[in-house]
Order: sequence, then structure tokens, then C-alpha cells
Amino acid sequence: MSWSGRIGLLLLALVAVVWICAGVSGYDVIADVNPALGGTAASGAHWLGTDHLGRDVFNRLMLGSHAFVGPGLLACITAFVIGVPAGGLAGYYGGPLASSIRYVSTVVASLPRFVLVLLCMAVYGNDVWLLSIVAGVSYVPTLAGAVYARVQSLSNAEFVVAARAHGISESRILLYHLIWVNCRRLVGRYALQLFGYFLLLETTLSYIGGFGVMEPQPSWGNMLAFDFGYQTGNVWGVVAPAVAIWLTIMGCSLLEEELVEERRA
Amino acid sequence: MRLLKSLGRVGLSFFLTLAGAVLFVQLLLWAAPGDPIDLVPNGVEFRAELEAEWDLDRPLPARFAAYLGRAFQGDLGTSLTYRPGSSVSELAWPAALRSARILVPALVLTLSVALIMAWFSGRRGGPAVRLTQAVSIAPVFLLAFLSVTFLNESTFSLIESGAIERPFWFALPDTDSWVRSLLAILVLAVGSGALSEVTAACTDELNHLRNAPFIEAAVARGARVGPHLVWNLIPAVASVFSNRAAFFVGGLVIIEKVLQLNGAGAMLWQACLMRDYPLAMGLTVMAAGAVCLARLISDVVRVAVDPRLREAA
Repeated sequence: MSWSGRIGLLLLALVAVVWICAGVSGYDVIADVNPALGGTAASGAHWLGTDHLGRDVFNRLMLGSHAFVGPGLLACITAFVIGVPAGGLAGYYGGPLASSIRYVSTVVASLPRFVLVLLCMAVYGNDVWLLSIVAGVSYVPTLAGAVYARVQSLSNAEFVVAARAHGISESRILLYHLIWVNCRRLVGRYALQLFGYFLLLETTLSYIGGFGVMEPQPSWGNMLAFDFGYQTGNVWGVVAPAVAIWLTIMGCSLLEEELVEERRA
Repeated sequence: MRLLKSLGRVGLSFFLTLAGAVLFVQLLLWAAPGDPIDLVPNGVEFRAELEAEWDLDRPLPARFAAYLGRAFQGDLGTSLTYRPGSSVSELAWPAALRSARILVPALVLTLSVALIMAWFSGRRGGPAVRLTQAVSIAPVFLLAFLSVTFLNESTFSLIESGAIERPFWFALPDTDSWVRSLLAILVLAVGSGALSEVTAACTDELNHLRNAPFIEAAVARGARVGPHLVWNLIPAVASVFSNRAAFFVGGLVIIEKVLQLNGAGAMLWQACLMRDYPLAMGLTVMAAGAVCLARLISDVVRVAVDPRLREAA
């Protein structure tokens, strides 16, 4: 693994640790409010200082990971459950099934993801788990398209013909030989892309306001908007979530790059 | 003849995709919980009229066909809560034109800078590409936020020290000026991975072409490689253009909201907040239309340039 890949892995491992620690810390977003401590600078008691309501920025930053890690994983699962079988079946069997799946993918892909997410949030209600499912569904055309292209290019390869000649079932050829052996790096890349995209989506919605995670629940997006709006003098309130967002997306990007396969000439 | 046949297929694909997008949005709204008439003040009193106007008394296929027919004539319905009673088309078109002034330059800027970087960086991972990637992966809203903060804070310091007079654009994003529009174009062109991903795609394609046998043959003959590379790069650039169009339209909503620009993206956000379904649906259909149009342009260019695609048709 290259150095950039290792850095990416380290950054994402750090996010995972933060996510787990936030889960067991028992931090209470309401009980932490103490306006007397508003805008306190970083200290031993408050590692990243406090916001204008006296809430600990470090604790909120940790808990902010809950707004995107779990839902981001659900978005990935949603995209895989629909996208990988759809792309694999379309690529392997072709014909009207492939045409239908490709048409539906094209239609969904013609709607900009952010616009589709916004419309669904308006229609079905503002919920971060719903957001994750919509994000996953909106990613299906991209994932299905990539799996389709790979499986189609290999569906008549020599090893597939040999497997058929050995009497291996079609489902095993598709699921193991084509999807598991030949598409797992590809799927891993798209998982990282989608996870990074979900963080971007969630923080954007929470930053702008009206959708996404609402106060008092912390999200790195709403922390940025909230702390900047009050400008308490504790710069960590703004810098910490901004750096956290940037580093997490950087981690996804670096690790994703590690999974890029060399293009065949 | 083959060219015409290929263009016909491309045109048909455009209309089928757009019709599919309209159906998809209709299905989303059809599956929504609650009664849309409840959104209208005193809606219950006018239930019969409203049901007839919105085709709620007809089955879904008939409603879809009626909406599609009206949409292709430019009638996207009537706003419910944003500007009650106003035509969605009259509200959305001027806003969409304002948005196009941000969207098109941003798309052109991204493609131009990406192509220049791909051409000169030679291989993936050069320092310029790395730096671009590091800046570009920041989300659009974060880049806009940091840019506005930096510009405002540094300008305010200069004004306080008496070094400069208050500039006409100060303070962003409240003051309407060309600086704000320029900032929106720059941030949209760079942020959320736009520049880095397009640069990576162009670099990958260019490296693939540079290793292609016909280029090696041209080099062996001592011919100029540049024109061959540029001509064969056009279909790939057209593909990147169409693939990124949807992403840019989504980014436009964010940048217009963060920089308080008065375009279709900000209107869509407001329509969604106010649950103005006809306006939100109209703007979504227009967004899908813009993406399909980008795909149509890309397909036409690819068919015109690449004879293999004409053969395939």
C-alpha cells in the first residue's frame, strides 16, 4: 500500500474511533448547555473550547460523527443491495433485462443527486436515515453502470467459458467469479466515494439549515454555521469542524485512489 | 445516412429519458403521505376545483400523460405557497437563466483548467495535481464559506487600517455585485471534487491515448502527435462534460443558497422548504432537462467525431 493510501486508511480509522468513543461517552447535548461558559478558549477542561452556549466543542465534534458514519454506511448498503445485482444481471445476461435496467439507471441519473435528495426530504420529511437511503438510491446508477461495464466485458472471457464447461452454475459464475473476484475493488472504490459524498451531503444540508441535522443535535455542518453565526472568539468552534470535514473526505479520496486499477491499454 | 440515424437515436433517447424523469418525479409525489389540498389555505372548500386542476381525480397514468403534455408546451403548473397563483414557468425560467450564467462558465472553466493540467502534468500524481486535489475535495459550501470569510476579514482589516476605501462588493455575500457571481463560478468550478475528478478523468484519457498504437505509429513516422491527440480527446471530454453536468446542477443549488444568489437553485430550496410541490417539481423537471440537454450535446459531438459510434448505430 502506498503512503497516501496508508494516510487515507489512518484518517478513516480515526473517524471510526471517534464514532465509537462518541457512542460510549454518554455526552448529553442538553445538559451540556451552560451560557456562563460561552466562548471559552481551549483549555484542559475543554480541549477545543466552548461555543456561545458554553457547550464543549470537542464533545460535539465527536458526537457530530454520528450524523454521518452510521447513515453513510446505510447509504453504501442501499446502493450495493440494488446496484450490484442490477449491474451484474444486466452485464451478464444482456437483452431486454439489460436495456430496462440501463433505462431506469439513465432516468435516475438524469436527476441531479442533490436535487433528488432535496425533493425527497421535502416530500417525505427531514430525517437523516431517509437521507441515507435516498443518497444510496441516487448512487445506484453510478454503481450499477460500473458493475455492468465490468461484468459485460468479462462475460465471455476464457475463464468464464472454462467455468461453464466445467459445469459451474451460472449464479456461481456471476456471483463469485465475476462480481466477487473481479468487481470487489471497484465496489470498494464506489463505497468510499459514496461515503465521502454522504458526508458532503449531510454537512451541506445541516450547514445551510432547514434540512439535515437540526440543533441541538450536533453535525459538523451545523456546528460550522452555528459557531460562525455567533463568532464567540473561540476559533476552534469553526476551525475544528471545517478541518474534520476536509480530513475525512481526504481520507476517503486517498484510500479510493489506492483502489484504482490500472486502465488496460 | 448513418450520421442521421445516429442523431435520430440520440434525439429519441433524450425525449425518452426526460419523459422517464418526469414519471419518476410524479411517482415520488404520488407516493407522498398526506393530502396536497391541505397545503392550500381554505383548500378543503375548493376541493373539487383543485382536484380537477391538479388532475387528482384521474388515475396516475392519465395524470402523468396530462402533466407531460402540458410540460412539453411549457406549462409546469401553478405555484402553491412560494408565490400563490403564479405560473411556475414564469417564476422558474428567469431564475434558470440567471443560474445558467453561473453554471455554464463554471463548467467551461473546470473543463478548460482540467485539460490544461492534464496536458502538462503528463502523469497522475504531479505536485500541481496533488495540490488541486487537496483544495478541490473540500465541499462547495465549505470553500464558499472559507472564501467569503477570508475576503471579508482581510478587507475589513485593510479598511480599518485606512489602507483602502470600502470596496463596492463589501461585505460578501450580502452585497450584490459581479465579485459575488465570480466567486460562485470559481467555487462551483473547483469544489466538491469537481476540478480534481475532471482532471483525473482527462489525465487518464490522455495517458490512454498517448499509449495507443496509432499515436505510437504517428511518432514512429515523425508526424505531429498533438492534432491526433486533441481530435481523439474530444469524445472523452464530451463524456466527462455530460457526466459532470448533473453534479454541477446540484452544486448550483448549494452555491446559490450559501452566496445568496437569486437563481433557480435557491428557488428550489425555498420551494422545498415551503412545500410548494408544483414549483419544486417544475424546477426538478427543468434540472433534469438541463442534464438531458448536456447529455444530448455530448452524444451529438461524440457521434459526429467518432465514426465507430456511427457504425454501431
